[in-house]
Amino acid sequence: MAIGKSVPMLDSVARVTGTVPYASNLKLPDMLVGKVFRSSVPHARTIKLDVSAAEQLPGVVAIVTAADFAGDDTPNLHFGSTIQDQPVVAGDRIRFIGEPVALIAAESVVIADQAMDLIELEYEEIPAIFDAEEALLPGAPVLHEAFPDNLLGHSKLRRGDIEAGFAAADEIFEEVFSSPVAQQASLETQVAAARWKDGKLTVWTGSQSPYTVRRVLSAIFDLDVEDVRVIVPPLGGGFGGKGNIRTQPMAAALAWKVGDRPVKLVMTRAEEFLTVTKHAAKIIVKSGVKLDGTFTARKVTIYWNAGAYASSSAHLVPAGMLRALGPYRIPAGHVDSYGIYTNLPIAAAYRGAMSSQGVFAHESHMDTIAHRLGIDPLELRIKNLLRTDDIFATGERLHDIHFVECLEAAADGLGWHEPLQRENGTVKKRGRGVAVMMKNTIANSSSECRIKLDAEGRVTLYTSTVETGQGGHTAMAQIAAEALGVPIEALTVIGPDTAETPPDAQTASSRSTHMMGNAVLNGAASLRQHLAEAAAPILEWSPEDLSVADGYVFVTTQPQERIPYAEVLGRKNIAALTATGKYWTNEGKLDPETGQGISTPDWHQGAGACEVEVDTQTGKVTVLRYHSASFAGRVVNPTLAGLQNDGNVIFGLGASLLEEVAIDGGQITNPNLSDYMLPSFLDIPVELKNVSLEAEGSTFQGIGEMTLPPVAPAIANAIYDAVGARIRDLPLTAEKVLRVIHEQGEADDEQ
Amino acid sequence: MNKAKPMMSNRTLTLQVNGQPQTLEVPSGQILLETLREALDLVGARNSCGIGMCGTCTVLVDGMAISSCLTLTAQVEGKHITTIEGLSQNGQLHPVQQAYIDHGAFQCAYCTPGLILSTVALLNEHVNPDDATVREYLAGNLCRCGSYVNILNAVRACHTIND
Ligand code: FES
Ligand code: FES
Repeated sequence: MAIGKSVPMLDSVARVTGTVPYASNLKLPDMLVGKVFRSSVPHARTIKLDVSAAEQLPGVVAIVTAADFAGDDTPNLHFGSTIQDQPVVAGDRIRFIGEPVALIAAESVVIADQAMDLIELEYEEIPAIFDAEEALLPGAPVLHEAFPDNLLGHSKLRRGDIEAGFAAADEIFEEVFSSPVAQQASLETQVAAARWKDGKLTVWTGSQSPYTVRRVLSAIFDLDVEDVRVIVPPLGGGFGGKGNIRTQPMAAALAWKVGDRPVKLVMTRAEEFLTVTKHAAKIIVKSGVKLDGTFTARKVTIYWNAGAYASSSAHLVPAGMLRALGPYRIPAGHVDSYGIYTNLPIAAAYRGAMSSQGVFAHESHMDTIAHRLGIDPLELRIKNLLRTDDIFATGERLHDIHFVECLEAAADGLGWHEPLQRENGTVKKRGRGVAVMMKNTIANSSSECRIKLDAEGRVTLYTSTVETGQGGHTAMAQIAAEALGVPIEALTVIGPDTAETPPDAQTASSRSTHMMGNAVLNGAASLRQHLAEAAAPILEWSPEDLSVADGYVFVTTQPQERIPYAEVLGRKNIAALTATGKYWTNEGKLDPETGQGISTPDWHQGAGACEVEVDTQTGKVTVLRYHSASFAGRVVNPTLAGLQNDGNVIFGLGASLLEEVAIDGGQITNPNLSDYMLPSFLDIPVELKNVSLEAEGSTFQGIGEMTLPPVAPAIANAIYDAVGARIRDLPLTAEKVLRVIHEQGEADDEQ
Repeated sequence: MNKAKPMMSNRTLTLQVNGQPQTLEVPSGQILLETLREALDLVGARNSCGIGMCGTCTVLVDGMAISSCLTLTAQVEGKHITTIEGLSQNGQLHPVQQAYIDHGAFQCAYCTPGLILSTVALLNEHVNPDDATVREYLAGNLCRCGSYVNILNAVRACHTIND
């Protein structure tokens, strides 16, 4: 059995010897260096862009500007995976500081840098808007004429009679929460290299969405999709950010202008912050509750700051709507999820996308309610958590629901019911908190793979699942090995390469283990069928009487009558047997006015519980112990699953305590890893534990994000438990903790 | 990386890289990370922050872990440089590399060469370090994937290798 074993990652040796072929290592013959000239104002009309002096510089091979897109036979300037609102390079309008305006291909970085200094841009500034809620007000500066109110999307969920629900409540609670802009900060920055040959385009890139990159590039250059080849080597981290398409169109445009030489574009760390960010959000949660802790109604309003272009926000805003109410039994629930253009860099997926912000809000809110009603926060949750067969706010009936188990596993791990020593006579106080999350996955999507068995008995799996570091290729190999009854050593995984590996929606939203995993199961089933058919004449039984397992085709009723796979192929003179496997889901079509329908094939579920220490003199918060739990259905690889759970918690600690992109007048002021701090060894709890829950008869479920969104509210709730201070805006910095403690002290003094 | 200043003069120097003398002509302002990656094709040292904050560019210079993004190549002339490529001998993984595999101490592995080299330096300086020492010592090597718990387990396992 290969499933359920902690098989080391297939390319472990490459990982510890430094030989993983990341896109950032790519060297092609005659390759040129690409560089991006960017805007320095947030909102402007371009008056003149002069690149002639830069073009004259020896060693500069080509410069791309919007003028290159202006003719009849030129590529299309605008692109986008959903809304085509983004120019490859800004034309007559600049919409954020750091927007690409011109692209340079040069023989070296030194020359490209010199060319940057020779580019002249004249512009006329126009008023800019940075706050999402303000951007909706009448008279606010408009970014895109097609969206006169700056609203790129508004998703609505309408369930039950909300007013009657609030009228029936004993108590009404209303709170406002906010999350800042953050950055995914993969240690490998975004990279794309492109080469044109005979009118066909090849792109090498660290992307989570090879097939979307192909579609977007074919649209820009008016090519058949088959004439665009996208190759994705292993990534040095993705975290959602590498699902955002931005470097690839620029690299392809440069190589197109150059003609016969490849161009490689590597984002600097500072450029990374201009390329993609996490959505800042303001969330208003209002709940009606009975004194016994039963909910009567909940209304949630979310303002997502999407930045200057839609990118993936168009489909993330509806996802944010589904994740806003929380996994609770609430008879009347309304959500309004607004995606809003502002003059900031683009926001797109950030691990736990559109969940972390909402979970921080509803899980902090749950504790506010619990404390006011005098109910234990864990009990209030367990009383109200959704169970299998409950009806969710979309009207769909829930299956495979394990919120209670997740939450209890985390709380029990921490020892929620054990007494806590809150003070030890110093300025430090301790407290505990819990939180739980639910998220839908990408519905209405498909995954496909191809499996080849050769005459030596080797199995090659062709998959477009991106190896982001999650161990996706190893997990798929384990699934294939088990389904085919071969040792894991017999497996080789190839991909993604759109010329070789079949289509897959993307490696995002923790969908791969479930979607591609089931595609692999289906492919393996069909390969076993091919084997039975090939072996039937040799064994002189009909295929229906044969079984295929453990490396043999055998007669079901007489297992000793058997023949190894390799021999089947050898005797039949077949070089290789190949099968394809496909898996898809059709959910996700919701009524646009009410959000009613079936939103997702499965719900992602996770929880966390922690103990913190707050220094009441400095405000410093230390997370001493953290226990997380996710619902995995069936664990493919315990070590890799544990890394996902722990990795999520550590990622979440960053967003909870440290990470905020500081922005002043549209200018990011901390675009480096000194001022934008990531969690180090010293930031992680001394006790950090996780569990992946399984269930009888369950299939593989995604766990790439589930233990992340609970981190911030669990810590915020623990801070409240320790010092009675409620912080509603992330990150939970020492300054904010101290301020709230002081405000509280003053309020107490007045009483 | 790539911070080479224009108009620099070139300079010929000899480095001892992974036990081999390497005589190179490099721009005098070139950083070691760039020399390793571009001139010597030793790409296990990686750029990420470029300012000494992340440790992905870590290499050993005379056994000490340093950030090659902050080190001029000229500064290490004549010194012994060990990169991740030089750690395994005759196709045998170094015990620290093996411990990282055994304990699943990586995900994307972009940070891994730097962490492994820092671990080697740590174990050169400390016999059986306690957890607090390990955390402190490795705090300059960031792992965005968050593999820290397994890294700690791998380092603990290396003690027994040393014993
Ligand atoms: S690249 Fe040298 S420390 Fe980050
Ligand atoms: S394993 Fe990805 S950064 Fe450490």
